[in-house]
Amino acid sequence: MRKCKIFVGSSHPELGKLVCERLGVEPAPCTLKKFSNGETSVQIGVSIRDEDVYIIQSASPEVNDHIMELLILISACRGGSANKITAVIPQFPYSKQSKMKKHRGAITARMLANLLVMAGADHVVSMDLHASQMQGFFTKPVDNLFGAPTLARWIRHNIPDWETAVMVSKNPGGTKRVTALADSLKINFAMIHTDRRRTQDGYSKKKALKKSTTKKLESTPEGDEDEDEEDNIVSEIQTARIVQGHVVDDDYPANGSAKGSSTKASTNDHLERSSILDSDVLGGSYDAAGSDDEDEPTSMNQEKLITLVGDVKDKVAIILDDMIDKPSSFIAAAEHLRLNCGAKAVYVVGTHGVFSDKCLESLFESKCIDKVVVTNTYPIGRERIEKHKSKLTVIDVSPIFAECIRRDHFGESISVLFDSLAAIE
Amino acid sequence: MPATQNSIKLVAGKSHPQLCESISKKLGLSLARVGAFQYTNKETAVAVGESVRDEDVYIIQTGCGENNINDFLMELLIIINACRIASARRITVVVPNFPYARQDKKDKSRAPITAKLIANLLQTAGCNHVITMDLHASQIQGFFRVPVDNLYAEPSVLRYIQEHYSKKDLIIVSPDAGGAKRVASIADKLDVNFALIHKERQKANEISRMVLVGDVTNKVCVLIDDMADTCGTLCKAADILMSNGAQKVIAMVTHGIFSSNAVEKLNKSKLDKIICTNSMPLDDKVTECPKLEVIDISPTLAEAIRRLHNGESVSYLFNNIPE
Repeated sequence: MRKCKIFVGSSHPELGKLVCERLGVEPAPCTLKKFSNGETSVQIGVSIRDEDVYIIQSASPEVNDHIMELLILISACRGGSANKITAVIPQFPYSKQSKMKKHRGAITARMLANLLVMAGADHVVSMDLHASQMQGFFTKPVDNLFGAPTLARWIRHNIPDWETAVMVSKNPGGTKRVTALADSLKINFAMIHTDRRRTQDGYSKKKALKKSTTKKLESTPEGDEDEDEEDNIVSEIQTARIVQGHVVDDDYPANGSAKGSSTKASTNDHLERSSILDSDVLGGSYDAAGSDDEDEPTSMNQEKLITLVGDVKDKVAIILDDMIDKPSSFIAAAEHLRLNCGAKAVYVVGTHGVFSDKCLESLFESKCIDKVVVTNTYPIGRERIEKHKSKLTVIDVSPIFAECIRRDHFGESISVLFDSLAAIE
Repeated sequence: MPATQNSIKLVAGKSHPQLCESISKKLGLSLARVGAFQYTNKETAVAVGESVRDEDVYIIQTGCGENNINDFLMELLIIINACRIASARRITVVVPNFPYARQDKKDKSRAPITAKLIANLLQTAGCNHVITMDLHASQIQGFFRVPVDNLYAEPSVLRYIQEHYSKKDLIIVSPDAGGAKRVASIADKLDVNFALIHKERQKANEISRMVLVGDVTNKVCVLIDDMADTCGTLCKAADILMSNGAQKVIAMVTHGIFSSNAVEKLNKSKLDKIICTNSMPLDDKVTECPKLEVIDISPTLAEAIRRLHNGESVSYLFNNIPE
């Protein structure tokens, strides 16, 4: 590719290398380091005058350092008279902070968009943005690629009986994403809802909830959905209680007193935060402004109700989300599917394997999860992959990014990459 | 209709809590309930715990930390943005030590002008005014489209010298040619002589040959610079001054960064004392380095905030220390 340079940031060198290999080019030379006082330093080792520059930088555990590095790289390329600068950000950092959640919260994703454009980015390529509305935060074009075709192919090739499997959304907010993939695989889907209210007497409330959920679902059928299909899905509703992040039996004592040191730690963590956040001036807790698609710090010691809408009995359940960040909701959902609803196997599938903190370890230890499948948009680290490889599968998405860069550079259409992998196979 | 009265909201970043505290004490105001924390995936999040609608917001965050300078920067940007979205009337950032100030020119081909980038980042996030201190190059003021008040530590430095040393055998020394102007101004105000050390720099943070211009025999030499990072320059300068017959050498800098093994170097060096301001947190370094002394600049910053809020002139602070 002539008149084109690809820079690989230090957040995810493996992905950058794979993209470059696929394109048959070398990553452009640049020195990325830190001064002794911690400031990030960038040196570009090749002329970029009048060239198309692509900078590959994903989010990572040192997210703020890598954002600064990306901004400085963009700014250096702008100062070096590049023709066009494209930021390729496989996992867009801060994408969960895309709306004003609490009173006076910052919309950090929009600010980051502004920062990128201000630094001099002309074009942004990302994958499975947490909310596709985020494209509107930019004043420059954004190409939001999809991980779904890659995940669908993996499911078709690696899950036995995938034709009878059920795609499960672990919260109502993610249902749209789940139905899209279920449609393309032509399989059924189900949904899990976790009620965050505290249950005084488990049983009667459970009954009431069961009733109301049934009602709600019957009274608001989605317009574009077939009637008989709707019936098929709502045929079964199963509810269970979650205490300390785990599914329990009906006769578990209602006042789940703190037990176990591991849960205690997370409770303390929550309390620490709540001292600033859940304060009176905020006029409410997370629940008040809470939304379904966020697994924001919800208190672990609070008892919750988990409800499955759909049928997974003796079937393979595939829990799909865009990002696997915190483990608790996945584990609770998997336990409910496996123990109460009779699922044959539970797969956890996501585009971005962020796995912050001990997430991967917790998922690995959970007996109810058979496999965790993610793409390599986010750096996981070879040791961590190696250690968990019996349960963890990482799918390479570099061909999609490589093809996107190639097509963008030659001015070809990118939309063929959205629906299928035909263009890169 | 005149704008309604508004008040100061002091917001403390996490980089330098002691400075924030002493500024809030000087102003007699408590810090606003704004909290920054990190999610488990290391993204920074901010909660503004009280109304800032139509208020005059001052966010204090300095550039420091060998491991988390970028975290503090993101935190600052997110706090600015949160206050902007929460309808603050005016947002002023108080950055005693401006981060990335040394990357202020295109000194090599295709080098980024990161200081300009930081200026743009702050403005994009939504800040309306910047207060800083002893910018590495005052041209950085021109990188902003919003007003920048560049305060000086010079009055505090002058007072310290006057209180601790007699004028008779004093000489002010600049450790590099670039700082000659700053040194000359201090020497003029003290009415003493000054000398200059010229260094030939080959790489950043590395120095090779040094030449002394001026006579320092039997004098108390005061080395003055805007920042001390790895302290290589200062230690070498002290060596040269001592070998040229100086009685003793002290160093005064505004921003004591002291990164990597600077403290160790200082302990071993021929410097008698090193004095810097508390523009950066130095608590642990003071205990490690007995030669280190810290001047408090919070009165100057607090007074600048008060004057800015009340619409009074700030230039008084360029030559005087508020009581």
